[in-house]
Amino acid sequence: MSLTVDGQSQVPPGFRFHPTEEELLHYYLKKKVAYEKIDLDVIRDVDLNKLEPWDIQEKCKIGSTPQNDWYFFSHKDKKYPTGTRTNRATAAGFWKATGRDKVIYSSFKRIGMRKTLVFYKGRAPHGQKSDWIMHEYRLDDNTPTDAANNVASSMGEAAQEDGWVVCRVFKKKNHNKSFDNNSGNVSSFSSKTQMLDSSGDGALDQILQYMGRTCKKESSSAHDHQNANNNNNNNNIINAAAAATTNNNNSYLRFLTSMSDGVVNERFMPLPPLESPTLPSLPNDFTNSTDDHQDSISGGNHLNPVYHVDQTGMSHDWATLDRLVATHLNGQSESSKQMACFNDPMASNVNEHYLQLPQVLMRSSSSSSSSVLNHNNNRLLYNNIINDGHLHHHHHHDQGYNNNNNNNNNNSEVDLWNFTRSSSSSSDPLCHVSNSPVL
Amino acid sequence: MGDDHNINLPPGFRFFPTDEELVVHFLRRKAALLPCHPDIIPDLDIYPYDPWDLDGKALAGGNQWYFFSRRTANRVSANGYWKPLGIDEPIVRGDGKKVGMKKYLGFYLGEAPMDVVTNWIMHEFRLSDSGSTSKSSKRRATSKADANKWVLCRVFERNGGSQGSIGEEGTELSCLDEVFLALDDFDEISLPN
Repeated sequence: MSLTVDGQSQVPPGFRFHPTEEELLHYYLKKKVAYEKIDLDVIRDVDLNKLEPWDIQEKCKIGSTPQNDWYFFSHKDKKYPTGTRTNRATAAGFWKATGRDKVIYSSFKRIGMRKTLVFYKGRAPHGQKSDWIMHEYRLDDNTPTDAANNVASSMGEAAQEDGWVVCRVFKKKNHNKSFDNNSGNVSSFSSKTQMLDSSGDGALDQILQYMGRTCKKESSSAHDHQNANNNNNNNNIINAAAAATTNNNNSYLRFLTSMSDGVVNERFMPLPPLESPTLPSLPNDFTNSTDDHQDSISGGNHLNPVYHVDQTGMSHDWATLDRLVATHLNGQSESSKQMACFNDPMASNVNEHYLQLPQVLMRSSSSSSSSVLNHNNNRLLYNNIINDGHLHHHHHHDQGYNNNNNNNNNNSEVDLWNFTRSSSSSSDPLCHVSNSPVL
Repeated sequence: MGDDHNINLPPGFRFFPTDEELVVHFLRRKAALLPCHPDIIPDLDIYPYDPWDLDGKALAGGNQWYFFSRRTANRVSANGYWKPLGIDEPIVRGDGKKVGMKKYLGFYLGEAPMDVVTNWIMHEFRLSDSGSTSKSSKRRATSKADANKWVLCRVFERNGGSQGSIGEEGTELSCLDEVFLALDDFDEISLPN
């Protein structure tokens, strides 16, 4: 199979140019820097300052096959003769670096760096962020990049900022929007996802899929999501969101617990575990449940372990709490405003974004106590409250309930166990429950 | 057969066909007894191959495996079986015409009541039943039956790896990138003019 060169590359059907980072750096960029001939002209030279991202698509297409990403070489020129910054402005906007550069390894050896940039329309500082993303790869130059105050490294910086790079440009898929709308808009996801989720409104599935895709680079423990058979409702997400938010800065918790009157109180307080007059009787309750359990184990009169006794009452409470939380999160802006009462303005601002960005949520929750996400579903928030407050004795019931629930093969439960694992790589041994045994 | 390397393409090219390409370029030609260019997708019976046995036998594209198979209702392998998930999805060509159907299947270990679900997924492509299977099937009476005899299978393990029809490594932002991107909203954009 031979390909026509001459800029008119003929790629056989089904094939895509989809190089690994290693191939980009070690094959293409190395050859470019060394002025070696590259077999096929698949990666063009581009003057970044003269090319708008929406024109890259046409300029850098390979064959006639549809593409999701485009590649080009770019020669970085210094913005100022004396400085080390690169000029990445175009006529319509500019590329702005985001985050930190990522080291690219090839079989454990460092071979280069990747910079992530976002295209902003307009002029700084009033640019408008777009969905165009660029990964800019440069070869490693053997200079310590972290030695900022090193004189030698400033020369290295200059060298590294002035030369050939290979870039990959793509359009960010807008998952956030579909989460925002919260209306079952799955258009930004592959149709496969829709098909696997026959309920059609699986916001959780979307996030799981999303997490599975986006976490694969960062988290080596990203695992499979058993979402094929699940019918989840959005409340799960909302609760997870609420719990994570709560866990992050406690503002939502304080919001709930501080609502001492009004309709919230009416719906909230009747929950037996929360208003229980036996509040301080932790040892008593604990002993009871232990006794019950022992009875059932030793073949006593109790046919059911204590969890079964609790389950109906508990689940009713959870449903109530679930509705409560859902009610408040539906009025998202309102609750955000409420939260602002308990936080400085900046934090509340961040808070709003947490509610909209699942990935941010998960990052923040993974840094916090993993138990929050382990006690999932409706119990998320509840656990938070009781853990934070003075109702520790109910925690035992809750654990039991969860165990029991797992035995009953509650699908959404299992799903969220995966959720937990993929986001926080929890070490909780119970997580194995969701691990489908593969022989 | 079995990997991309028998095609002389520069580094970085991989077999990541779209659903449409699979149906139009490969399955249709196969069914019409026309040669496939490139002829890289092998014929394989589902039995007795468990999905993890496909490596080296089916065409690998990224973490996905492709093979032609005879259409059958009994998709049993050595250690399990393929069970349809959900409903079939039409494959629509660029001009809006339906060219095929896509069935989703999951691989289960064991037999029906005692089976265990795995992460292995199959996309099974077949030509449309509606006779839109190209003019050649009208020309030859026998080829119509033949057209529906073949299916094209894409098998992969659903573990956060590539699972779309086009591999998406690198064209997705990582979690960390997304966080930084979100945090940028709070920055003052301060590039020197």
